[in-house]
Amino acid sequence: MMAKLGDWLDVRIGHRAAIARWLDHPLAGGASWASAIGGALVFTFVVLALTGVLLMTSYAPTPQAAWASVHYVTHSLPGGWLVRGVHHFASDAMVVLVGAHLAHTIAVGAYKKPREVWFWLGLALAGLLLASAITGHALPWDQKGYWARRVESGIIGMAPGIGGFIQQMIQGGPDFGALGLARMHAAHVAILPALVVVLFWLRGSIARKIASAGDVKASDPYAKQLARDLVVALLVLVVCVVLARRAHGGPLDAPADSSSDYPARPEWFLMSLFRLRKFFHGAGEFWGTAVLPQLLALYVAALPLLDRKPGVRLGVRAPMLAPVVLAAIGAAALHVMAVQHDAGDADYAKARAKADTQTELANRAAFAGVPPTGPLDMPELRGRQLFEKSCASCHVLGDLGDPKKATATRLDGWGTEAWLVAMLHDPDAPEHFGKTPYKEIMPSIDAPAPPAKPMVTRAELEAVALFLAAQGDEPTEPARVADATKVVLGATIVRERCTTCHLYDGKGDDEGSGTAPELVHYGSIAWTRAQIANPATATTYRDKAAGELGSKGHMPRFDLEMSSADIELLARWTREHARASAKK
Amino acid sequence: MGDEKTGRRGTLRALAVLSGAAACGAIAAPGVKMLVAPASGAASGAARWLRAARFDSLEEGVPKRVAMIADARDAWTIERQKELGAVWLVRRGAAVECFSATCPHLGCTIGHDATSGFFCPCHDSGFAKDGARVTGPSPRGLDRLQTRVVDGAVEVDFHRYRQGIPERVELG
Repeated sequence: MMAKLGDWLDVRIGHRAAIARWLDHPLAGGASWASAIGGALVFTFVVLALTGVLLMTSYAPTPQAAWASVHYVTHSLPGGWLVRGVHHFASDAMVVLVGAHLAHTIAVGAYKKPREVWFWLGLALAGLLLASAITGHALPWDQKGYWARRVESGIIGMAPGIGGFIQQMIQGGPDFGALGLARMHAAHVAILPALVVVLFWLRGSIARKIASAGDVKASDPYAKQLARDLVVALLVLVVCVVLARRAHGGPLDAPADSSSDYPARPEWFLMSLFRLRKFFHGAGEFWGTAVLPQLLALYVAALPLLDRKPGVRLGVRAPMLAPVVLAAIGAAALHVMAVQHDAGDADYAKARAKADTQTELANRAAFAGVPPTGPLDMPELRGRQLFEKSCASCHVLGDLGDPKKATATRLDGWGTEAWLVAMLHDPDAPEHFGKTPYKEIMPSIDAPAPPAKPMVTRAELEAVALFLAAQGDEPTEPARVADATKVVLGATIVRERCTTCHLYDGKGDDEGSGTAPELVHYGSIAWTRAQIANPATATTYRDKAAGELGSKGHMPRFDLEMSSADIELLARWTREHARASAKK
Repeated sequence: MGDEKTGRRGTLRALAVLSGAAACGAIAAPGVKMLVAPASGAASGAARWLRAARFDSLEEGVPKRVAMIADARDAWTIERQKELGAVWLVRRGAAVECFSATCPHLGCTIGHDATSGFFCPCHDSGFAKDGARVTGPSPRGLDRLQTRVVDGAVEVDFHRYRQGIPERVELG
């Protein structure tokens, strides 16, 4: 059946003869495994093109959507993780293959007459493929890709004269923003691949012409080489699939944040250049880190012109190749130095650990969906960021804040029944008021320091804790299951005995101390929000809470430096995490 | 006869080349314009005072990093109250010193701690208390910004400068 269809088609288009001609084309010098590196490179590019087009069906190149769409492809879209993983690791494989192919070509002297143009096109191709990899790493718009590109475009900006102009053209303005990402995308999916295909085709044609001009007696049909190419290509693909499975897709750092302190590092294949930068300071930097590598590339390009004696014996060519070998050894050494430096650098480890926490948090939070304004607006991320910036220098909550330096209440469990029991029993414990200016202001209600007598029994204390915990409940939350008589008992005690100092619904504090907080809705979102905005009001910690006790060490008001939207977000985040961390 | 033919061919060829060039130009001219447009924005140099922090939240001589917040335009988007960048504020008596937290080398965010002082986490440039470059590849010291105190609030005249060059050139 298939044969008949083939016959029918062959009469009309003549494909059999064409395929046979292609496969039987004589390859001077014969097939080799080393030449299969170049062949495998073409197939790896095909893998990248196919997976790349698949990724385009689910990727959105805007700063607001890019990270979220990549997260979606990696974690939610069935099959997406494998497509992205293979694309990611195939791009690494491509860089390795480019290096191996170049090294082999130079080692065997395959740049010699008549292969000069073939060799030069290969160098251009290597440049284009590296540019493809670099632009591709920008597309997830994560911290790693964003900062690496930002630094790289800054390096372009160092070029004398037109550097700044080119930098802004690439970035799409003074900052890397929406246009910059769109430009990276256009380069990555259209401009660079189109040029790569043209160069692959040109090189293939030239290679055929050279092969048929060689010693045809010592030749193999192209099919034999093609088989080897395919074996190597398949091996590469298997490695990519295994790596993609192990990583479940490709890595995705936290979403790009232009005002974060991220320790930028380039992709692995640029680490040697990264390290080189540290040797050149000031005006010499541009020459040392941009011009020097380009001079080396020029030297490699000039090899066919410098090394023109016939014969490819390494011994004869050694003086010509020495600079290339030295540069390769130098690059390897720089790479090792860069990795070792980071491994032994405590500041880097700290910054990286922070970035990893952010990465894990963002990746986890994004499962709940990402707002259209972008992943940085995910409440989980923004709330933590705000807490870290504005609260953690005094408070401790979970892994945020330093318990040794804390000068305010530890917020783990704040507002829960268990926390209130502990607080009412021992207000001056170090995690409560012990390190704050409120120390010795509030007595323990069931076991005060003698000679004072307990205000309540342990059972009554528990009733008060239950009643106060319930003050923080939100109407949208599941109703608290509690003993009604215990709640009533708690309410009575709070109204009758706590209001000597505290306010309850605006009443109390007969002595006018003005320090003990309002207890209605204590621990609710509204109360927390009001407290953050300004602790010195009648509905929060009261007017004298931040003043009379000396302004230092007191909770400041934040409504003068934080937007109301941020205060709301921070209040919700803090309350939620305080309650959640008590359960752990 | 032959001349006539060559003449006609020559005219046709010239016509083809001309119209081809015109067609290419019709695409290339707006294309180039479009691509270079983002690079042509010049800095206005006008003052841009942004509120940074309360004066009494600063401790004498202790640098504090604060975000610069304002509406930010990025091509077709406008983001309200976005963090444009960060600055380091240092109280010196009644005045406040301010340094941009963007590394003048390649734009990473400058950190500070008691042991290292001001430092860049990317290429290890180090800066003195007065912002001068001490170590590392940075071509200049930290960019100093003007400050003023208005009703107890510190305001910063926020600008950004090109990186990687010894001169201070403001970005548009």
